Amino acid sequence: MKILVVDDSRIMRSIVKNTMKTMYNIEDGFIEASNGEEAYKALESMQVDLMLLDWNMPILNGIDLVRKLRAMDKYKALPIIMVTSEAAKYNVIEAVKAGVNDYLVKPVTEKNLYEKVKKYLE
Amino acid sequence: MDIKYINPFINSTTNVFEDFFKVSPVVQKPYIVRSNEDHEWDVSAIIGIAGETRGAVVISFTEDLATLLTSKLVGRQITTIDDDVVDTIGEIVNIIAGNAKKGLEEYRLMISLPSIIKGKNHQIAWPVKNLPIVGIPFKTDFGPFTLSVGLENIITEG
Repeated sequence: MKILVVDDSRIMRSIVKNTMKTMYNIEDGFIEASNGEEAYKALESMQVDLMLLDWNMPILNGIDLVRKLRAMDKYKALPIIMVTSEAAKYNVIEAVKAGVNDYLVKPVTEKNLYEKVKKYLE
Repeated sequence: MDIKYINPFINSTTNVFEDFFKVSPVVQKPYIVRSNEDHEWDVSAIIGIAGETRGAVVISFTEDLATLLTSKLVGRQITTIDDDVVDTIGEIVNIIAGNAKKGLEEYRLMISLPSIIKGKNHQIAWPVKNLPIVGIPFKTDFGPFTLSVGLENIITEG
């Protein structure tokens, strides 16, 4: 199982990883990226099973990365959960239209992260 | 000022402190901030807002509170404003502004990446001249902090 955690905040990446480790007893298998471009490079170099993706990031933001990936056949089925502070309904609609599988509004808690990721990990 | 547009920021601030730090901040009476007035804060995180308005959201801390909150989050003692403190308070203001959009859905808004300003009596350069800015003071068991919000034609002095 390889999970790509993409967020420009190192502390947020740690919170997401530690929460996932506690829930699923996953020690290894996390890859981190601090923007969309780094995430794209990571995807090109290895097989990833699930991506947890922030929206607002420098260089290449999350929504533009989703659009780029969904335009490519090999990434059409990659499970992507957007994990973002953007809580407006129009943001959720925009992300779903771009091709995210699920949407989680920060702050991340163990309960709401568990609810979102369980169907992709079981 | 119209409390309808202040409440989303109060609610999102309360939520992020409760979720991140297990602390319930108590909101004090909001007031109009005069730009460039002296203050007691050592560090601020600012996020710009664009779209159907222009403005910014700023959260300001003393060094003691910013380092203490970051210590709670990362699980080690921090005593000066380092990269982890910058990361933490940037993420706090990002979540406050992003979550507050839910209560302001009649306006389509975009938020910028956060910036951090530090130093005794540092000054914020607000993106719109003569913008009415609302200061929302909060108290916590660990010390006070303040949230400042300015949104052109949405938050007014009337």
